[in-house]
Amino acid sequence: MEMSQRGRKILVPAAFLPLIVSACTPEPITSQGEQVSDLYTIFSVIAAVIFVVVAGLIGWSLIRYRAKPGDDELPPQFHTNLKLEITWFAIPQVIVIGLFIATAFVLVDVNEEADDPAVTVDVEAFQWGWRFGYSGTDVTIIGIPQDPAEIVLPVNEPITFVLNSDDVVHAFYIPKFLNKRDVIPGKENRFSVTIQEEGTYQGFCAEFCGLLHDRMPFTVQAVSSASFESWLEGQGDDDGDS
Amino acid sequence: MATVDSPADFGIERRRSGLVDYITTTDHKKIGILYLYTAVAFFLVAGALALVMRAELAAPGLQVVDNQTYNELFTMHGTAMMFFFVVPLALAFANYFVPLHIGAPDVAFPRLNALTYWMFVLAGLTAFSGFATSGGAAPFGWTGYVPLSESTYSPSVGADLWIMGLLLSGVSGTLGAVNFMATIFGMRAPGMTMFRLPIFVWNIIVTSALIMFTFPVLTAALSMLFIDRNMGGHFFDPKVGGDPILWQHLFWFFGHPEVYIAILPFFGVVTEIIPVFSRKPLFGYRGFVFATLLIGAYSFSVWAHHMFTTGAVDGPFFSATSMLIAVPTGIKFFNWIATMWRGKIRLRTPMLFCMGFLFMFLMGGITGVFLASPPIDFAVHDTYYVVGHMHYVLFGGSVFAIFAGIYYWAPKMFGRMMNERLGKVHFWLMLLGFNVTFFPMFQLGLNGMVRRIADYPAETGFAPMNLLASIGSAIIGLSVLVFVYNFFMSKRRGMPAGNDPWEGYTLEWATTSPPPHHNFTRLPPIRSQQPVFDETQQAQRESRG
Ligand SMILES: [Cu+2]
Repeated sequence: MEMSQRGRKILVPAAFLPLIVSACTPEPITSQGEQVSDLYTIFSVIAAVIFVVVAGLIGWSLIRYRAKPGDDELPPQFHTNLKLEITWFAIPQVIVIGLFIATAFVLVDVNEEADDPAVTVDVEAFQWGWRFGYSGTDVTIIGIPQDPAEIVLPVNEPITFVLNSDDVVHAFYIPKFLNKRDVIPGKENRFSVTIQEEGTYQGFCAEFCGLLHDRMPFTVQAVSSASFESWLEGQGDDDGDS
Repeated sequence: MATVDSPADFGIERRRSGLVDYITTTDHKKIGILYLYTAVAFFLVAGALALVMRAELAAPGLQVVDNQTYNELFTMHGTAMMFFFVVPLALAFANYFVPLHIGAPDVAFPRLNALTYWMFVLAGLTAFSGFATSGGAAPFGWTGYVPLSESTYSPSVGADLWIMGLLLSGVSGTLGAVNFMATIFGMRAPGMTMFRLPIFVWNIIVTSALIMFTFPVLTAALSMLFIDRNMGGHFFDPKVGGDPILWQHLFWFFGHPEVYIAILPFFGVVTEIIPVFSRKPLFGYRGFVFATLLIGAYSFSVWAHHMFTTGAVDGPFFSATSMLIAVPTGIKFFNWIATMWRGKIRLRTPMLFCMGFLFMFLMGGITGVFLASPPIDFAVHDTYYVVGHMHYVLFGGSVFAIFAGIYYWAPKMFGRMMNERLGKVHFWLMLLGFNVTFFPMFQLGLNGMVRRIADYPAETGFAPMNLLASIGSAIIGLSVLVFVYNFFMSKRRGMPAGNDPWEGYTLEWATTSPPPHHNFTRLPPIRSQQPVFDETQQAQRESRG
């Protein structure tokens, strides 16, 4: 008996689990990331409602329809209701169509490549590190496990990343972009972002790429266009010296 | 009740149940028990590998294992759970209960059945034998992505042993599926029409179909990889015109239906248990069959949602199909609830695990819809969000249902009830440990923790939630120990089960526990989906009237 009491106490709050998880993407820093974050919020709200309704119905059945001790009478033996079944086929169908439409709009924007990017970064992933080349300059930044790369990018300007690999599959991932793309040998991938906030952000390799996959973190510093320009020029000088 | 269980029958069973008999047996029930023991053994091993991984991840820095070992651990954890635990455990239940459910004396091809089992054992041992070689086991993840799994990047013998193990397991699974199809379509007792089949059997039909269509694709892909590695092939080498993305297509064309292969049998188990413990017939039987067939059909069109970030697949198409497949699963939820609605629910251990299944799988299913949306997938793909989602599906879903099935059917298989109190301790510990382990992973993934890493920098802030997850994993480990103790203790000293301890509906409850060699001395008339229930009700009416 104590068990059933405890059962109710645990099962009912379990119904509210998704409320904790909803709307918890990290603060996005790109205009594209903001759209993804909004889409995630839409999904979360609908998911929370579905979870509360379904888990609530299960929890309610468990509490309301527990057999009383000693009650051997059979409950009503109903087992079909076509109208009801068609209804609960139709409702989820409508919900997923709605979610798909919301998805399609955001997908178009997230995949849209900048016509005339201010900066194009050629990203080459390798076992185990990154080579970042600033297109149109000879600035190249290399990161390896002992000495991770730190790249600098301007805010409020479209940036395009061009991804290539010469060995295995990696993935270029900056969590606060809310975006990533695989870096695949033999297939060039590209995507564009516009960073909106200055700051220092961490990046990772997301696709498992062998022994030191976990040692591929890198850092992105987002700065004003002016500071970016002067940084880029300074790098050029360094490069010339070496 | 007219069921005859002559003591002589029992005597013969006892004398035969030696080790030699189990090795040479072609009896579907003994093969079912062999599958059960072997699959659970792989579960314990693969679970132990996971506990080592969680120990490593509890804090930043490498304390327990090095990178190479860690990579072998998660590769073999995933491989063993998918190929040597969940699917073989489905085959354990199917072996034991499909012939009983349809009123047959055995499967259609008993010797093929034995071959299937022994190939599976050999497959598991082959894949694991990599640990005994100097280069270690395969280190490239259970998905074996190329070019990483090519000989240039993974030259170890363990990688080839992994390929051979999976090839064997693929052939074994395909033969098993053929056997179940032949059994179900050819050996049903008189009166057992298709629409009177237990839902569990319907799920085995669809699962077998998925196996027959997709395991050969995996077998082909593995053969290509083997040729690339050992015979100078270039199927996947981009430098000479091969295509690494081809591997991902082939793997996931198998791999996504594989997820349904790993869950549908256990939908079947749960769908057998909930009506019995609600003391009502299943609500919407035909809707249930329809939903299962629909899931089977849709499952061939969703594979590339694992590949959105490759930029090489049609995002909108695979997004739409992946969201649509949630609908038939939703139907099932409503049918389960309607079955419980206005019932008289007995919350015994099997039913308790079914409830755990409903709540946890609901979480897994809903987070799956997030992943079907490419923009959201771009954010969380290859992070712990996916690890959390997939464990809510395969652990919260399949594994909870597996335990429901074991508590429900162990009395039939071994003749004794499992201990109810220990069963409940097992359930609550596992539910707690499971959520403490896997719930934080959603947030970890959103925050940017990628999967398959042995270590993370301290400044990422991932440490506290990882510590929590590791503590949860220890609680899961403890709950499994409670189960193992309960299983062996009850098998020896549990209460005798009798023929029908749960007032069941389906034919396995019409015979002795365990059933005699030929399964039935008599069959009740089969006039509905609940022949045993019909007969006991009739007997009660007669005794009253
Ligand atoms: Cu990498």
